[in-house]
Amino acid sequence: MNQIVTTIATSLAHLVLVLAIAPLVTGVVRKTKARFQNRRGASVLQPYFDLAKLFTKEVVVSSVASWLFQATPYLVFGSMLVIALLVPTVITPVPLHWVGDIITVIYLFALGRFFIALAGLDTGSAFGGLGSSREMSIASIVEPAMMLAIFTASVTAGSTNLSIVVERLSASPLAMMNPAHLLAFAGLFIVMIAETGRIPVDNPATHLELTMIHEAMILEYSGRYLALIEWASQIKLVVFLALLSNMFFPVGMAATWSPWALTVGVGAFCLKVTVLAVIVAVIESMNAKLRLFRVPELLMVAFILSLLALILYFIIGA
Amino acid sequence: MSPTHIQSIGLLIDICAAAILVTAFLIVSSRNLGFYIRLFALQSIFLGLVALLVVIGYGEMHILIAAVLTIVVKAVAIPIVLTKMIDRIQVQKEVGFSINITVSLLLCGGMVIVADSVAQSILAVQEGGGSAVSRVLSVSIALMLIGLFIMTTRKKALTQIIGLLTMENGVFLSGLSITYGMPLIVEVGIFFDILIAVLILGVFVFRINKTFESINIDALRSLRH
Repeated sequence: MNQIVTTIATSLAHLVLVLAIAPLVTGVVRKTKARFQNRRGASVLQPYFDLAKLFTKEVVVSSVASWLFQATPYLVFGSMLVIALLVPTVITPVPLHWVGDIITVIYLFALGRFFIALAGLDTGSAFGGLGSSREMSIASIVEPAMMLAIFTASVTAGSTNLSIVVERLSASPLAMMNPAHLLAFAGLFIVMIAETGRIPVDNPATHLELTMIHEAMILEYSGRYLALIEWASQIKLVVFLALLSNMFFPVGMAATWSPWALTVGVGAFCLKVTVLAVIVAVIESMNAKLRLFRVPELLMVAFILSLLALILYFIIGA
Repeated sequence: MSPTHIQSIGLLIDICAAAILVTAFLIVSSRNLGFYIRLFALQSIFLGLVALLVVIGYGEMHILIAAVLTIVVKAVAIPIVLTKMIDRIQVQKEVGFSINITVSLLLCGGMVIVADSVAQSILAVQEGGGSAVSRVLSVSIALMLIGLFIMTTRKKALTQIIGLLTMENGVFLSGLSITYGMPLIVEVGIFFDILIAVLILGVFVFRINKTFESINIDALRSLRH
């Protein structure tokens, strides 16, 4: 009984941390971008204010929309919450690590994407359908690349359970420098850019019909539904940054619940995520969005990098 | 030398080999001629690093000169020559593909697998295989195949030069991996050969451009008429 209570309490703490820092990470990316454009930019806390405002606003739903349209925000947000519970952030193993492994995480991402694409089609607006079809065609290349990259890491560690992968990797620092591992990191980084809808694949700041992908699908949403979806995509960014930093460079992660280890863990996590967020912002500032027909080429590079990683693992070995 | 020392040298060689392979794939994935040249320079730097690591890890001093030559000739001299050539003929983009980029990348991925199976059969008969350098053999064969692939599927004369140079890098790397490099006199001969070849090809490309107002080798067909 006591164990159940601790598991629930620690899981909640873990979840609250991810939920709480998600808007901040987006804020850091936006602030860095603004600095690059010689603007002062909004405060890094602005995404919190945006969410708070959206939650108090009235919801407007199209009269032709079905229940699917209203259920989707909760489904998307829910799948992100479950993913956030499974991905190690500051401590490993995560309290609920036995619930699901990497494959569960990949399919939960797919579940969220599937419903958001359906919701895009549901209102019958032309933009929604356009966004959904683009999102799905990109996803068809992104998903295999993501699986290959993640499987390379799990082959190196000998397990598909995220917490065990992280644990085994932090036990052997030399494996982090394995070329297969570095290539898989590069592959997953491109996948992250595509999955979170950032430049050069998608532009999160635009509502121009020629360029938007993710924004086109959620164009009909307003009020608390929009807030949930925005928050979910912010969590997605954090989860991907956590995957990138902890699956490939699990330095400084806490292994016990002692206060000192936790402090180091939180510090290391914040540092790694901030560094990656700044890198994302720098890439966004230095590149223009790719033409839609060029996107598959970039994603194919990610796929090939991940494939090479897996091949190199067997050529060179670990 | 201590075993951990050898092991870390081996790891560094593996990383450099992976980087060489990645640059080859990036050449296949891009269409910017300037980018090809920078990638080739980067590839040559990593190749020079592998040679240096062989010097440090296995005490093969005669490779040192080859390593320095690789960096000076392939990473500095040839890229400068090629960049000047682009500036003179004012061509920036590769547009003629017989196979599009996405399919090219997949085919090259397949070539790495083929190269590995070929390399395994070579290493099986070689004695004392399994050292860090001999593992690089698969990468070197893959590099040769990708170089050949670039030469056959791209239509700009300059891209074909890059393909040739990539193949040459693969040959050098395979020499390194099987026998710790060829005799110095052979290596120096090859470097000189490559440098002169690039200079002559450069003049050639310039002439082709002047005559046909394009460096698209398809234009050469009009010579038949």
